[in-house]
Amino acid sequence: MKTIYALPLAAAISTLGATAALADWPTDRPIEMIVAFAPGGGTDIMLRTLAPYIEADLATQIPVLNRPGASGEIAYTALAQAKPDGYTISSLNTPGFLTMRIDRELRFDPAAICPIARIVEDPGMFVVQEGSPYNTLEELVSFAKENPGAVSIGTTGVGTDEHLAMLQLEESAGVDMTAVPFGGANEAKTALLGGHVTVIGLNVGEYAGSEPGQIKGLAQFTEERSILAPDLPTAKEQGFDVLMSSERGIAAPCAVPEEVRARLAEAVDKAVANPEFQEKAKQQGLALSYQSGADWAAAMPERLARYEEIIKMVKEGQ
Amino acid sequence: MDFINLLMLGFGEAITPANLSFCLLGALLGTLIGVLPGIGPTATIAVLLPITFFLPPLAGIIMLAGIYYGAQYGGSTTAILVNLPGEASAVVTTLDGYQMARQGRAGAALAVAALGSFFAGTVATFAIAIAGPMLSQFALSFGPAEYVALMLFGLLAATILASGPVLKAIGMILIGLLLGMVGTDQATGAERLTFGAVELFDGIDFIVIAIGLFGFSEIITNLERSGSAGVTVAPLTRLWPTREDFRQSWAAVLRGTGLGTMLGLLPGGGATLASFSAYSLEKKVSKNPQKFGTGVVEGVAAPEAANNAAAQSSFIPLLTLGIPSNNMMAMMLSAFMIHGITPGPSVLTNQPEIFWGLVASMWIGNLLLVVINLPMIGLWVRLLTVPYRLLYPAILLFCCIGVYSMNNRIFDVVLAAGFGLLGYVFRKANCEPGPLLLGFVLGPLLEANLRRTLLITQGDPGIFVERPISLVMLIATVALLALMIFPAFRKKREEAFQEEEA
Repeated sequence: MKTIYALPLAAAISTLGATAALADWPTDRPIEMIVAFAPGGGTDIMLRTLAPYIEADLATQIPVLNRPGASGEIAYTALAQAKPDGYTISSLNTPGFLTMRIDRELRFDPAAICPIARIVEDPGMFVVQEGSPYNTLEELVSFAKENPGAVSIGTTGVGTDEHLAMLQLEESAGVDMTAVPFGGANEAKTALLGGHVTVIGLNVGEYAGSEPGQIKGLAQFTEERSILAPDLPTAKEQGFDVLMSSERGIAAPCAVPEEVRARLAEAVDKAVANPEFQEKAKQQGLALSYQSGADWAAAMPERLARYEEIIKMVKEGQ
Repeated sequence: MDFINLLMLGFGEAITPANLSFCLLGALLGTLIGVLPGIGPTATIAVLLPITFFLPPLAGIIMLAGIYYGAQYGGSTTAILVNLPGEASAVVTTLDGYQMARQGRAGAALAVAALGSFFAGTVATFAIAIAGPMLSQFALSFGPAEYVALMLFGLLAATILASGPVLKAIGMILIGLLLGMVGTDQATGAERLTFGAVELFDGIDFIVIAIGLFGFSEIITNLERSGSAGVTVAPLTRLWPTREDFRQSWAAVLRGTGLGTMLGLLPGGGATLASFSAYSLEKKVSKNPQKFGTGVVEGVAAPEAANNAAAQSSFIPLLTLGIPSNNMMAMMLSAFMIHGITPGPSVLTNQPEIFWGLVASMWIGNLLLVVINLPMIGLWVRLLTVPYRLLYPAILLFCCIGVYSMNNRIFDVVLAAGFGLLGYVFRKANCEPGPLLLGFVLGPLLEANLRRTLLITQGDPGIFVERPISLVMLIATVALLALMIFPAFRKKREEAFQEEEA
């Protein structure tokens, strides 16, 4: 509670200070980019690849600082506590950023963090082994109907995109499946290839970049098919209401002056549009999908409401 | 033989001057970060990854691979000289390596570690070349049930690590298991033992515990024993290993290599599990198990061979199936992807020069490491003659920087200091921290896999005896347990230690 009272005052004071420093922004010192995950993760590599292009546009330096842990809460807390002078920005990932507030008392105020730009939207999907008897979501669901609990779905933990997607499918199809948590997508994939679980959740970006002939997709969880997997039907097309995607972008404290945030967003927009960056993004299987901070922020309440609903359903079910 | 031609193609690629220099650069960098505690290869590679954009694919990958196995070499150096494991996989090397250094045999320990590693690296490289695709199938057959059996066996074997009473060893394992539970529960999302500290949501980092229990508590003990005069190191008797050292260690190197090559294939544990297991195995087969922990050369040779073999063989699942077996390999996967190469069977057929070039460069890299490291032994050993009052603040500083730089937070440094005090208490109580670390590493794996198994089978434990690999390991566990309870054996073990104390 104390932090929430203190915030407006702190914000007012630091805005005052920031306006004075604004004249020099962003060239008088480096802009620190906090990444909420350990080095080597998808978000980390994406931002390290992107940073040089933003640096070139802003004529400054952007060192990356990893602050992993608590699915991003540590990084967001650090961002919320940083001086709002435009010299500290961070990564922003959904659904994590949205779902963490549902069940947990946070050490930062989510409303104090403003998205600057979305860079990637990567839809979720379900995949099975290449030799699996299931070719569509329908076939999987009809097996699950007759054998409650027998379908095991590898996820990367409770409340992650894969888990939320499974819960939506269970609700939409009226079936009962078993979530098996793994330490990461690679561990889950190993278990799938070894035949230890039936299905795993992946992102379309990971699916598109994987070796052909090992796995096959059942459905992607988008409104419209992703450009990375144009031949894979969506869950909606197959008659199941499952929508799930993970988004990655950049955020800054809301107390950072509007014009600084706008300038940052512009620089990210230019960097993402750079053909050189797009070529590298393609190699990394990044589903680029730029969205301005304002648009992204506007879409968040609806997503949050959907996640709250799913999580409420689970609690009632228990 | 087709494979000879392919290997020749690989060597042709790997010994071009550019690729050779990137291999050397990677190996040097790896050695350096291996020596510095806490600064691990994963973080280094992440930082260097964008630089490889500007290199040809093979050169970039060769350099990153060099950093990885170079770090395995470097990690053992500080473990032997100052009882400070630079990498998780070097923890067991401290047990006998540091004792050897105190007896004036640091040079021998370093040389055996380097040569053992080179031998293991050579064997594992050929294993990748010859049996890669076949071995990857073995890795896939390890499901959650097999892991449970493996971890149970590993935990029981951990009691062998300690040279003191079995009861104390079991106590330390249990503390390790408890520490491993700290953090967010993967299956339910509940917080366990975090006391509300957000820094503990993801559990305690291995490096924090290792540096606290080994590095910090060692310094406290040394200062207490002799003030700032510090460690009394016996004068250097001989820089190189004796013929006797080689005679004693060759079998240990062979066993360590075999064990490391197999365990390196498995996702998760990898090099760390390999070095722990190799040490336990040596102690088990040795005629003088009571001598372990007092500076026996097998206690250095086996784990060093094992962790290097594991470091190499962990490339197998990545190269043949496109699945990384640990964080480090996930980084390598990103490095491949950045260059538009998707590791997997198709690379073997479509771009054989990449696969074979990397395999050949690993062997060359291992050779370079021996060439770099052997002449440096003389230099390293001289480090021990630096007055302790100068040495220990430097060690403390590097430890703190290393721990801080993992997550960029001071909390970890304070936590490591706490573990330093705890380690001091353990030393006073004659409890050894080795089994604690093994419990800490294996506990979470055991728990996660046990829950996965029972979720998949919907609560039916029959799977553990139905699956052959799991059944074999469970039988081995029971046999080991029976051996320990068997009175004659227990008596012999206690006698052995009484002799030692007397």
